[in-house]
Amino acid sequence: MKRLAAIAALASIATATACGSTGQEDAGQGGIYTTIDGSKQINASAPINPFNPVGSVFDGYNGMALAWPKNDPIDPNQFYPAIARSWTITPDESEAVIHLQPNARWSDGKPVTSEDVRVSIGLAYTQGGTAYALDPKAAGAAATIQVVDPTTIRITQGANKSNTFLSNLLSTVVVPAHVYGSLLPRDFWHTLKVAQDGKGAPAERAKTEITGLADKVIAFAPRHDVSAGPFVLERVNPGAALLRRNPYFYDGKLIGPDKVELLNYSGNQQIWNYLIAGKLDNAPFTSVPSAVLDRIRAVRGNKVIKGFSPVSTSLAFNQARKPYDNVHVRRALAYLIDRAQVTKIASPEGGTPSLTTSGIHAEAAKVWLGAEFNGLDPYRLDPAKAAAELKAAGMTRRGNKWALPDGRPWKVEIHVPASFSDWISAAKSITSQLNDHGIDATVVTAADYTLYLSELAAGKYDVGFWLMGLGPSPYNIFQRLYGQANGWQMFGGRLEHVAPGTEGNWMGGPETVTVSGTKVDPGALTSRLNFAPPAEQKQIVGTLAKVSNEQLPVIQLWDYVNTQFVNTSRYTGFPPDDSQALRLSSGVWMQLGMIRKRQA
Amino acid sequence: MTKAVRERPRGAALARRVAGHVVRGLVMIWVVATISFVIIREIPGDPVQGMYESLLQKGMSPDQAERATAVLYGFLPTGSLWDQYVGYMGSLLHLDLGRSLSTPGVKVTSLIGSAAQWTVLPVLAGTLLSFLLGVTMGVYAAIKRSGKLGDLLALSGSLLHGIPVYVIGLLLVAIFTTLWPILPSGGPVDVAFVPGFNPGYIGSLIHHAVLPVVTYTLASYGGWILAMKSNVVAVLGDDFILAAELRGLKRGIVFRYLARNAILPLFTILALSIGMLFGGSIFIEEIFNYPGLGLLLVNSISTRDYALMGGTFLVITVGIVVANIVADLLYTAIDPRVRSGEAS
Repeated sequence: MKRLAAIAALASIATATACGSTGQEDAGQGGIYTTIDGSKQINASAPINPFNPVGSVFDGYNGMALAWPKNDPIDPNQFYPAIARSWTITPDESEAVIHLQPNARWSDGKPVTSEDVRVSIGLAYTQGGTAYALDPKAAGAAATIQVVDPTTIRITQGANKSNTFLSNLLSTVVVPAHVYGSLLPRDFWHTLKVAQDGKGAPAERAKTEITGLADKVIAFAPRHDVSAGPFVLERVNPGAALLRRNPYFYDGKLIGPDKVELLNYSGNQQIWNYLIAGKLDNAPFTSVPSAVLDRIRAVRGNKVIKGFSPVSTSLAFNQARKPYDNVHVRRALAYLIDRAQVTKIASPEGGTPSLTTSGIHAEAAKVWLGAEFNGLDPYRLDPAKAAAELKAAGMTRRGNKWALPDGRPWKVEIHVPASFSDWISAAKSITSQLNDHGIDATVVTAADYTLYLSELAAGKYDVGFWLMGLGPSPYNIFQRLYGQANGWQMFGGRLEHVAPGTEGNWMGGPETVTVSGTKVDPGALTSRLNFAPPAEQKQIVGTLAKVSNEQLPVIQLWDYVNTQFVNTSRYTGFPPDDSQALRLSSGVWMQLGMIRKRQA
Repeated sequence: MTKAVRERPRGAALARRVAGHVVRGLVMIWVVATISFVIIREIPGDPVQGMYESLLQKGMSPDQAERATAVLYGFLPTGSLWDQYVGYMGSLLHLDLGRSLSTPGVKVTSLIGSAAQWTVLPVLAGTLLSFLLGVTMGVYAAIKRSGKLGDLLALSGSLLHGIPVYVIGLLLVAIFTTLWPILPSGGPVDVAFVPGFNPGYIGSLIHHAVLPVVTYTLASYGGWILAMKSNVVAVLGDDFILAAELRGLKRGIVFRYLARNAILPLFTILALSIGMLFGGSIFIEEIFNYPGLGLLLVNSISTRDYALMGGTFLVITVGIVVANIVADLLYTAIDPRVRSGEAS
């Protein structure tokens, strides 16, 4: 007891001695803007390093790219300026010249120069992919990087040109050379040249040397944040990250808040609680039950902004398994699913029922296809057509149930990951509808998404949910339907189609299909989308949309709507509905001059 | 002389006992590490593909997602299972648990260390609070078992014991963070405070810990009160209590006899509970966004972070093995019957 009293007394004394400061810093007149980074959870153990996927660098706040992508439905090369004030590209997309913001400075006062961009590109090579692939045959790989002057840099594209070269270039994350430069060996650029232009063993050695740097780059942990963005990281704990204004930001006058607090979350429930408590100035959309949504809307200042999101959800078939190898069966199911009903149940706020299956989000499809879009079969609910399609597939009706052509019972198992509540709701709605029409259907859940993907890829499922329409790049859109998941893969720069059930080919579709009397290879056309000029792209998109509509490798269920929650009690000037900035972070909105402190 | 002779065999027996425990504990740790190593490697799922698709789900473009995940393939274990196992055991001997895949480039030991601090506070505080509360109330419930107070206490124990921890947590969140918002709903501390020994930061730590600790206390309280009540009732019927009462011993002394004998089995459970705290409390950490070991384990499983999963399982195993040894030694210290049995 005496010991306990002594401990208590000591604690009181210690607390009293520490009373000189409350430990809380003044937020200033601009206040603290509270939000959530929807792209990643906060990880206080991760380094302040944008090359680390969970690093404490947040896009638009203390993380800066050359430019920020606009939410254009069809053009992936539309960007807002960021570290790059402007850029030009030759008509054949062989050379891009990037002009940096002349007043851009790092948070330690040093200027942002072309050398910073060059070092950032060097570091990006160690990570691989897109514009900075070591394989010179890779589509859209950069060939030369030349510093023209302290604020101008010229980058050329290799021989295998891609129409997303500019887009990938402008997405380059920029880091300070005086912090990260030491990660690149002195002879790095020579090694890169050997890796790209050399042949045989020396080239392979050089590639290995560069990719061998990846671990070092990803694990690099600067002691302090040095940011060229409007904010700089002050501190981070497992619950939140606090960023303060960067006094050297090139457009500081546009930035309203003095600080930004990014809250962490371990589940949607926390985001709902924050929204109901009116704590968040902005939050990305999360699946919300209607009752919770009503409570969120009822909070003073809470509003919902909506816009285009180039993503759709679909029900995908494993065409290597019977009876889904038969297009009539797939069509029959399309005629039996009431997509409006499914969307109303699964994603009433975050989605709109797909008008048809084209492989593309309807808004983008209308722009790509024009009047052709109306020519696609909308697959409206039509049990009579469905019955005709099932009969055409040889299916038979036994009592009040449909059976396989050989008379065995037909059981449709729809697979979904257990953690996706919207997909589960959709699957339940679909099975209920199919059961009503005499098709024995059940929902089967996988324990988690990683397991789901692995079993899907192994071809264990007949029917499962699949994210698609990942625009705006048409190549990315159709890659989801006619890419690796459906058997098309690049081997040594050559496109090949592998057998169903191998190399991740779980969709198991045929290599060629006949559409409107013409034989087409959808995978080859998709691959061509990477290189094709705009007119040819349009033509290919038209063909692939028709292929998707007629062949139905998937049934497009709903197109996502980008939904953002904002609270206007403390800040105003949020982007309007359908703004092209809507998919970007609040940090970018601030850079565009959008967020202002509400005047009392 | 006689005393020295008597102490030597007792000391030697204790040393033998401890050595036996340590050897058995090390074997147990090796067995669990080996089994968990094999099981973890057999869990289906490509972690990089999983992360790539998750990023797409979060609205990232395929190009961005590819940039963010391509490099992670370098963090996946390579070579045959046996080679991996030999490498793993070699690293383990150097207390190196490897590097994480979900927090690439960061050592697993560092992640576990950082999560452990957030587990220890609520779970340890909750365990001790519920133990003290449960044990005290358990004695009263037993003594007053024929009265209304006894019934009420027993009922509160049964009720709370029957409610799952996540229900208690969600109820408390609903009441104290949205209905009557006086407590924070998530995170371990307000980031606005400068970390350190200052009242603001410490106050914020306590403020954030209130709900997790209360949830944990309420969820475990039922078990303690019911166990203690049952033990006390059993001891009350023992002859030595009757003898003590007949000898006219003071009430306080009888109470001490009673409590000391009834609490013995609970000490073992307490020691094991403290060992289990390294497993964290998944529901509490999830509900309150308290980034402890439980949440770390769940995340490591969903991201197929082999090194982190293995490391977390190992820490839990070590915690339980050590707690077992401590419980056994504690029992020896507090129960004279065990001591005398050891000496003879």
